[in-house]
Amino acid sequence: MHDEPAIKKEREAKDDGRYIIFFSFEEEGEAPTGDDEG
Amino acid sequence: MNQLRWDPTLGEWVAYATHRQDRTFLPPAEYCPLDPTEPGGFPTEVPRESYDIVVFENKFPSFTPDAPEADGEGSALTPAAPGRGVCEVVLYSEDHYSTLATMPEGRIRNLVEVWADRYEELGALPFVEYVFVFENKGDAIGVTLHHPHGQIYAYPFVPPRPKKELEAARSHRIETGTCLHCDLLAEELDDGRRVVAEGEHFVAFVPFYAHFPYEAHVYARRCAPSIADLDAAERRDLAGVLKRLLVGYDELFGFSLPYMMAMHQAPTDGGDHAGLAHFHVEFYPPNRTADKLKYLAGSETGAGAYVVDVLPEETAKKLWEAVEGAGR
Repeated sequence: MHDEPAIKKEREAKDDGRYIIFFSFEEEGEAPTGDDEG
Repeated sequence: MNQLRWDPTLGEWVAYATHRQDRTFLPPAEYCPLDPTEPGGFPTEVPRESYDIVVFENKFPSFTPDAPEADGEGSALTPAAPGRGVCEVVLYSEDHYSTLATMPEGRIRNLVEVWADRYEELGALPFVEYVFVFENKGDAIGVTLHHPHGQIYAYPFVPPRPKKELEAARSHRIETGTCLHCDLLAEELDDGRRVVAEGEHFVAFVPFYAHFPYEAHVYARRCAPSIADLDAAERRDLAGVLKRLLVGYDELFGFSLPYMMAMHQAPTDGGDHAGLAHFHVEFYPPNRTADKLKYLAGSETGAGAYVVDVLPEETAKKLWEAVEGAGR
């Protein structure tokens, strides 16, 4: 019940050199994207 | 240009970031730089068609890792220093119109993981002494982008408010041998009138000494120094209590309530903050009624003395009713 969600972390460099990190999760009973209630 | 200048009258740093004058200001929704980049569309900050939660370096940072030396500026009395630090933007969702309050609790739980990850990674940088997670929400707070997002400032110093809080906690521990925040939480739970939401591991309440009418603090029941110290059950419960409080905030006046959110936790300056730092989240909504705002005017800004025209017991009751009403 209290397991930690599986977290995927992808770090990339943007065109101007700044970093961007994409986090995605494979638990918590929701799809990774697009299902927000709001 | 990122530069720090020391104010010897208050004993605190002031950060200057002159390039921020040019930052994006309230673009139309169809040109939101925080949306995913659509095929053939204008390039946003996120070069993907879809995302879950994203963190990136702020394009207009108040602090940068490579800030230049402040050569030639300042004096022994008023020194200057490089504005060395990291500023990140945290995108909560790709849904432009969502808010933390309208998101599923599971997404907030995932955000807790991201906040903990950033605390640990940024806090490990040798020039970072404090990782500050915060959110400005709503026009009344002065947001420049409406897309649901928060920010993280990794400061090269412990900022004044957390520093003052830690000093108070140290004095209290010397005097009583106990944690100031644990004792405050015990008093709030014992009194009960200002508690607005309770979870197994976290409690939300309007503090006895609230500076804003609907200010609320979310305290860990356990004396955990930082968000990274929370176990899985505590992280899940934090998400649940945050969700209940935020839904209650929106229920309060019938609209999405503006607020400032601030996380207070242990500095990452190498010091021993066990028993002094106690992880908690503070919310400061500016509204005192549905259509009236609390301004930080002469007394608050010039004297540092807050004057509030309603007692916390009264606002806490209304907020509790809103939390309970939204939960039914």
